[in-house]
Amino acid sequence: MSTQITVGIAQIDSRLGDIEANLEHHLDWIAQAREANVDLLVFPELSLTGYRLLHLTGQMATKPGDSEAVRRLLTATGSMRVVVGLVEEDENGVLYNTVLLLHSGAIAHSHRKLYLPTYGIFQEGRFFGAGKQLSPPVDGLGLLICEDIWHPHLARGLALAGAKILVVSSAGPGHLGSGEVPASQESWEALTRSTALVNTCWVVYCNRVGWEEGSFYPGGSHVVRPCGEIIARAPFLDEHLLITEIDIREVDRLRWRLPLLRAERTDIVGA
Amino acid sequence: MIRKEDVAAHLLLNPELATRVLASFIADAVKTAGADGVVVGLSGGVDSALAAALAARALGPEHVLALLLPYKTSSPESSSDADAVAKQLAVETRTIDISEMIEAYFDHNEQDAGKLRRGNKMARERMGILFDQAKKRRALVLGTSNKTEILLGYSTIFGDNASSINPLGDLYKQQVWQLARHLELPRSVVDKKPSADLWPGQTDEDELGFAYPTADEVLYLMFDRGLSAKEIVARGYDAEAVGKIEELERRNRFKRRLMLIARLSSSAINLDREIPRD
Repeated sequence: MSTQITVGIAQIDSRLGDIEANLEHHLDWIAQAREANVDLLVFPELSLTGYRLLHLTGQMATKPGDSEAVRRLLTATGSMRVVVGLVEEDENGVLYNTVLLLHSGAIAHSHRKLYLPTYGIFQEGRFFGAGKQLSPPVDGLGLLICEDIWHPHLARGLALAGAKILVVSSAGPGHLGSGEVPASQESWEALTRSTALVNTCWVVYCNRVGWEEGSFYPGGSHVVRPCGEIIARAPFLDEHLLITEIDIREVDRLRWRLPLLRAERTDIVGA
Repeated sequence: MIRKEDVAAHLLLNPELATRVLASFIADAVKTAGADGVVVGLSGGVDSALAAALAARALGPEHVLALLLPYKTSSPESSSDADAVAKQLAVETRTIDISEMIEAYFDHNEQDAGKLRRGNKMARERMGILFDQAKKRRALVLGTSNKTEILLGYSTIFGDNASSINPLGDLYKQQVWQLARHLELPRSVVDKKPSADLWPGQTDEDELGFAYPTADEVLYLMFDRGLSAKEIVARGYDAEAVGKIEELERRNRFKRRLMLIARLSSSAINLDREIPRD
């Protein structure tokens, strides 16, 4: 991958339980992103199925290698790298909340969500199995899904294993306070910015928009520089294709003068 | 530790953002249902005025029908205030007097019924008309119950608490007032004492026995923040009011879980099989 890349964040709404409609939506956005010469296009968590599936989860399950929807996406992506979310079924029938990285007609990478929120409005642990391994980054890209970034050792693990861009696909519901932006956004930005900074990585955070059963997703997708600065943010509530140029070498330049990863120690007793 | 004097500030919203989000909720729900708009019962009070204003903003006033459903003892200000709201929002109104329907039941069958039963019947009659008018127009019934009254159970089950969608159900009464002021709804509506207007002179605060700001703050501490009644009283709230609010909240939980199905199979609706409605 070149060191100067164009990242696209597809901040979309998905129709709950309607893979056919969502697939067409993805194909439209992939076409738009290709026109804009995007190198890496990121869709939200469970983008092909919608998020709050509950007992529809099983009906949405696909084995990515046999999936007609994945085949059509692979045809459409060409040389662009595309991250999409779906319900994956393994050979034992266990369902996972998964993102796939599609590239050059193949599934280049996949990540099964490791932390399944099952509290408050979240019920993932009832319907999904948790992933069992943190897959090493591919071409400097590390994949995480929503709750995964709230457990900082995962981002750290990816950074230590060579990630320079952390891609976070999310379906993070919004809540409001008295501020100009949703209160939920303040938490997310605290998290994405600190994750970028302590790991000296780019963070590409894609959150969805739309409503599901009375709960809204505010969007507010953004890109964070390795120094923790947000350089681009999509609007709240509306679908948006956010396009940002990023320089991967910025990671190396920052790490030369801020060698946090190089200094990481695993030998500290009790830590 | 959260102090009493700080609680009100926690209930403040960014009114423009909240309005935008709630309008998008209505627009999305109408689109998802394939409906043509909403019908809303306009009572002359602030809750229904706010719900109608959000719908007009979400869908355009031509997709909102405001129904005025007075009973013969309803206060004349209720209908003049409702008219003022409809006029300001430029939504169509229709008035259907429910007196005859209510009399037909009580005069012929239940002459001794007291005001509470009559009030409940009125609320359910209005609900029945709202759903019929919605059917006629391929519209959804817009709910107007706020979080304070839902938590207190200050509503008629299957009456005013029934709706297709409710944009106000996560707003405490203070927040309803805050958004109504932000949208510049008529002062007479925003400033008047809240009343179900089910009998002459009725006001919510007299009937409940505490003021809305107290109820909102106590419920916020109890429900949103998880404090016990004892911890709330220790912050300086009136023990009697806290006791009443706690009791109402507990006693009326059944009104917020509308279908209680006896589970016989291992695939009972909503218990074993939670299928999203969207």
